Amino acid sequence: MADNAPSVTRTALVRQAGTSKEDVKRTTRRILFGVFMYGVLIFVFVVSALPVVWVIMSAFKDNSAILSSPFSLPNQLNFQAFVQVFTLYNFQTYTLNSLLVASLATLLSLVVYAMGAYVIARFDFPGKSLFYILFTLTLLVPPHTKAQPIFSLILNLRLYDTKTALVVVYLSFGMAMSMFILRAAFMAIPKEFDEAAAIEGASFVRTFWMINLPLAKTGLATAGIMMFLGHWNEYFYAMLLTASAKHRTLPLALAFFTEAFSYDYTQMFAALTVVIIPGIVIYALTQEQVQASVASSGVKG
Amino acid sequence: MKLDKLGRKNLPWVYLFILPSVVVFLTFYLLPIVTVFVTSLTRWDGYNPPTFQGFRNYSLLLSRSVFLISLRNLLWWSLIAGTLHVGFGVLVAFLFSRRPVGWKAVRTVYMIPNVISGAAWAMIYRFIFNNDFGLLNGMIRVFAPGFNVKWLFQSPYAFWAVTLTWLFYAVIITLIVHADLMSIPAELHEAAHIDGATGLQIAWRIDLPLCRFSIGTSVILSITSRIAMYEAVALTTRGGPGDDTMNIPIILVNAITDMNYGYANAAAVSMFVLGIVTLVLVNWLFRMNRRVY
Repeated sequence: MADNAPSVTRTALVRQAGTSKEDVKRTTRRILFGVFMYGVLIFVFVVSALPVVWVIMSAFKDNSAILSSPFSLPNQLNFQAFVQVFTLYNFQTYTLNSLLVASLATLLSLVVYAMGAYVIARFDFPGKSLFYILFTLTLLVPPHTKAQPIFSLILNLRLYDTKTALVVVYLSFGMAMSMFILRAAFMAIPKEFDEAAAIEGASFVRTFWMINLPLAKTGLATAGIMMFLGHWNEYFYAMLLTASAKHRTLPLALAFFTEAFSYDYTQMFAALTVVIIPGIVIYALTQEQVQASVASSGVKG
Repeated sequence: MKLDKLGRKNLPWVYLFILPSVVVFLTFYLLPIVTVFVTSLTRWDGYNPPTFQGFRNYSLLLSRSVFLISLRNLLWWSLIAGTLHVGFGVLVAFLFSRRPVGWKAVRTVYMIPNVISGAAWAMIYRFIFNNDFGLLNGMIRVFAPGFNVKWLFQSPYAFWAVTLTWLFYAVIITLIVHADLMSIPAELHEAAHIDGATGLQIAWRIDLPLCRFSIGTSVILSITSRIAMYEAVALTTRGGPGDDTMNIPIILVNAITDMNYGYANAAAVSMFVLGIVTLVLVNWLFRMNRRVY
C-alpha cells in the first residue's frame, strides 16, 4: 500500500514543488514508522514464542539450573524427565486417553454433522432453514453455562468417570462450526453429480458416501482439524466429568501433576511440554486451514 | 415449501440424515438450556426433586460480595478486552496489511498460544509469574537483584497478572480484521492518496470505518470470552487472593460441587444475560445493523 504507483507520483509532485526540509520530515516519519512497526512485530513474536521456548528449554535443565539461570540454554539434551513423566507418572495412559477421546469424538462428529450438513446443503425440505439456524446459533451458547445439566445427564446415563462421557459431550461441541464449514463444502459440489448418480440408480446413502463425501474432503479436513484441536485441548468438561486417573486426559493430568509435584521443576516443565507439543505440531502441519477457518468464522476449536 | 423431484423422493432419507444432528441439538443444547433457565428458579440438590422458589437464587447471587466482585472484575476485564486487547489485535492486522518483511512468520507464531490448551497456557503463565523460577522475576532480577513479588498471590498484582495471560494474545482478532482489510478495494486507497491523504488519515478515516463489522465482532468475541474465562483463573489464582480475581464460571463450578444446582444455574443464566447484553450493546455501538458499502 505504501509504495504503489500513485504514491510515487505524488512524492514526485511534492518533490518538484516542496522544499528539502519537507523531504527530511517525510523521511524521518517513514523511519519512525518503520521502527514502530517492526517493534510491534518483534514484540508479538516474542510474547508468543518466548513462553513456549522457555518451557521446552527448562524441561532439559535440572532444578538448580532452572532456579539460578532462567534464560540459559540447557547444557545437555537430557530426556530423563520425559522418560520419568511417561513411565513413572502414567503420561502414556493420559496421552492415549487424549488421543482416543479426541479422535473418536472428531470422527463421530464428522459423520453426524456431514450427514446433517449434506441434506441441508442439497435438499429442500420443511424445517430446513430452522434446523440450520438453530444448529449455528449454538455457537452463541457458552459451553460452561450448560455445566450442571450435562453433569446430571452424564450421571443419569451412568457414564460419569468414563471416556465415553467425554466423547459424547465433545461430539456436541463442534456443531456450529462443522455445519458452517461442511454446508459450504457440500454446496460447492455441482448438483449434476447427484443427478447423474440418481440416473445410474445409486442409492441415497451411496450417493452421499461414494460421491459427495470424497469431494468434500477439504471441508471435512478443516472441520476435523479444528475439532480435534479443540477436543485435545479441552479441560473444563474433562475436569467435571471424570474422577479417576484411569480416564484422565492430558490437560487435566497436567493440572493434577503440577499440584502434586510442584517441587520437581524439570518434571513439571517436561509434563507441560508433552501437553503443548502435539497441538503445535498439528497446527504447524495444517496452518493454512487453521488460519483460513479462523479468519472466516472467528471461532477456534 | 416447494420440493424438487430429488428432494420429494428422498424425504425419508433426508430426515434420517438430519436426525443425529437434531438428537445432539436436543440433548446437548436445547434440553440443557431449558433446564438451566427453569431450575435457576428452584432449590435443587440433584437428589430431591427441585422446589420452586422464585427469584431467590438471583437475589442471593446479588447479595453475595463474591458475585459483585466478579461483576466488577468482568466490567474491568471487558473494558480492557474491548479497548486494549481488540486495539492491539487491530493494530497488528493493520501492520500485516502493509506486508512488512517476515509478517507471515509472525502471523504463524502469533497463532501458537491459541492452538495449545487453555489449561496448559494457564500453567505456563503460572510458571512465568512464579517467584522462585519464573521468567518475569528472573528478568526483573537482572536489574533489581533481590526483587520478590508473588504476582498471582498478592493483591493488587493478581488481577493484572491474570489480565496479562490474555491481553496481547489477540490473533483471532488480527486474522478476522486482516481478512476484512484485504477486501477493501484498492481504488479507495488510490483515490485517497491522490487527494493527498496521509497513511494515518487513510487508516483512520477509511480503513477503520470499513472494518466496523469485523472490529465489532472482535469486541463481542473478546468480551464473551472474558465472561466464560475459566482456566486462566481456576488454574492460576483460583479466584484469589481474597476474591480479587473471582469470576462467574468459578462461582458456577463451586456451586455444582456444593450440590447447589439451582444457584449454579442462576449463575449460568447471568452469564447468558451478560452475553446477550454485550451482543446488543456492541451491535448498537458499532452500528452493525447498517451496511458498510
